[in-house]
Amino acid sequence: MTFSEKTIMSRIIKVSLILAFILAASIFAGLAVGSSFNGLRTPWEIIFSAKKTDPILSTIIWRIRFPRVLMALMSGAVLSTGGLVFQALLRNTLAEPYILGISGGSAIGAITGIILGFSRFPGVATAAFAGSMATLVLVVVMSSGKASLAKDSMLLSGVVINAFCSAIIMFLISVTQSSQIHSIMFWLMGDLSSSDMNQVYILAFSIIPCFIVIFFLSHSMNLFLMGKEMAHSMGVNIKLVMGILLVISSFMVSATVADCGLLGFVGLVVPHMLRLVFGSDHRILVPACILGGGAYMVICDLLARWIPQQGEIPVGVITAMIGAPLFVFLLKKGKA
Amino acid sequence: MIFEIDFMKSPHWNGNGCNNKDGRLKFYSYFTAFCIFFLLFLFSETSALCHTFSDIKLRSVNDQTGRKVNIPKNPVRVVSLAPSVTEIIFDLKRQDILKGVTRYSDFPAQAGKLPKIGSYIQLDIEKIVSLKPDLCIAVKDSNPIQKVQRLYDLGIPVYVVNPVNLKTVLDMVTRTGEILKAEKMAQELVSSMKSRLRKIKLIVSKSIKKPKVFFQIGIAPIVSAGTNTFLNELIELSGGINLGAGKNPYPRFSIEQVIRLNPDIILISSMARSKNDNIFTEMKQKWETWKMISAVKHQKIFIVDSNIFDRPTPRLIDALEMMAHIIHPELFKKETPIQ
Repeated sequence: MTFSEKTIMSRIIKVSLILAFILAASIFAGLAVGSSFNGLRTPWEIIFSAKKTDPILSTIIWRIRFPRVLMALMSGAVLSTGGLVFQALLRNTLAEPYILGISGGSAIGAITGIILGFSRFPGVATAAFAGSMATLVLVVVMSSGKASLAKDSMLLSGVVINAFCSAIIMFLISVTQSSQIHSIMFWLMGDLSSSDMNQVYILAFSIIPCFIVIFFLSHSMNLFLMGKEMAHSMGVNIKLVMGILLVISSFMVSATVADCGLLGFVGLVVPHMLRLVFGSDHRILVPACILGGGAYMVICDLLARWIPQQGEIPVGVITAMIGAPLFVFLLKKGKA
Repeated sequence: MIFEIDFMKSPHWNGNGCNNKDGRLKFYSYFTAFCIFFLLFLFSETSALCHTFSDIKLRSVNDQTGRKVNIPKNPVRVVSLAPSVTEIIFDLKRQDILKGVTRYSDFPAQAGKLPKIGSYIQLDIEKIVSLKPDLCIAVKDSNPIQKVQRLYDLGIPVYVVNPVNLKTVLDMVTRTGEILKAEKMAQELVSSMKSRLRKIKLIVSKSIKKPKVFFQIGIAPIVSAGTNTFLNELIELSGGINLGAGKNPYPRFSIEQVIRLNPDIILISSMARSKNDNIFTEMKQKWETWKMISAVKHQKIFIVDSNIFDRPTPRLIDALEMMAHIIHPELFKKETPIQ
């Protein structure tokens, strides 16, 4: 084992440990906040002490808050990692599932599924995946052409497709007579309130293999950033790797969108923040995005439940409200 | 490209990382192990969970949707998942066992003082569980089915009522009385409702012509009520023709269409949620600019309280009496008017 491999590995472990600690802390904080009671002591007693606790309290912690926190964790991890992958593949720092219209496409698919009365899994999820693949193809086709134009036109076509998607979503909402219209509206703004363990299992089993594959391909992403010719000369099968990564990221993003709705800016903010702190080696950034993105979303969800006196704010509102200004700040700081 | 340059400067990059397979495999396996650990963690946690509400004497009944449900023989902590259910529980004088209501449960006024469990669409599951209910009463088509299922999965019995017309509202009152041990009260309530209903039917049967009624339940866009709604039933029982009738329960209309339909009476249903909101009187003034409409010519535009007209409660009979007075004032001249 060479010196550099040793350093990179110890760095991955170090970074992961730091972020895992932050994640654990945010999960704990997430378990401590809710509409019926707040406080760190109760979850502490329920998790760590052996003595019998109030069954109602442990039901609230384990069966209501815990699935929700896990759902937030996974959606944050997926969207951040998705953002990271898109940024590397499209070689564009502003690429993100939400901005590229991938999320919007899967939202169209998911809403169509809901209106047609499909079950949440696999019906709605499949429809969401189909929608996201369609928009992905559209973005790639629209932006492919002259190489010099490709970078900007990628974003532009993303903007166009996003606008088109929101128009279609509004169209579907206004023509539907379904009684589910209210739940569609809440879901659209990002809604984690109805998460349960079954949803958590299904999502976990669909996204964890994706994370593993992306991690295995993280070194290729490093090479992509040096240019396609360079990557090719280093022995990367560009088309294959790029195809796998695009399909896998769209798959996990659409699985998340089908469950949690549209959560914007996560895929932009988290990778940028982590890149500023830990540098831009994707072998470090992939696990960092999974852990850090998870922590970020758990905290956003915590705020969504904690801020209002009654009811809760949709998480998507919080992610965008924190995300956009933070993004501008990071951009300014990065340039200075 | 900001991060491309940044990336090239990165001290952890030596350009030959991809040649060393051993090291890479090692940290990939760490990563995989972490993922497996995460999954195991998920499973170990949930297997330790158990049902919380197991030591209560239960009996099996069919609810109004025909679904079999185990409910306590003597419920003592009931949470109502809709304003209409809350109203009925108060009508049955069983508010002593009512432990939680939805945000807009505002009738009777005391109902507003009970703990809130979110709105009927956005039920706050955690809040409901913390109230330790031994029975929840939900309304089909109002409460989202996923949330009701969630409560059920958490071991809380949920009795679902399904009021779709006056007859099922009467049934809903009887059933609520039965599950809450207030059968006698429910019987009295139902028989008084029935006798008032008969009276109205008798009076209306003397009417000669049927005025065309446009019942507006939405301001922007203009929305009316279709055939399968309480409002349609109320209009027909009061001897009017519902211009919104049709397959769509909540059809949208343009001003153009309403002028063309030329209603004899326009009813605007107001949500009493914001009292200083004057959009409803503004809407009335807006209609008054269209002088060619029969309702405008004869000054037959009325604003009515939506809570009385669209909640499936005993107050629907009040709504029916009001509606009959509005549609056929000539039939009620001899009697004393109802508030």
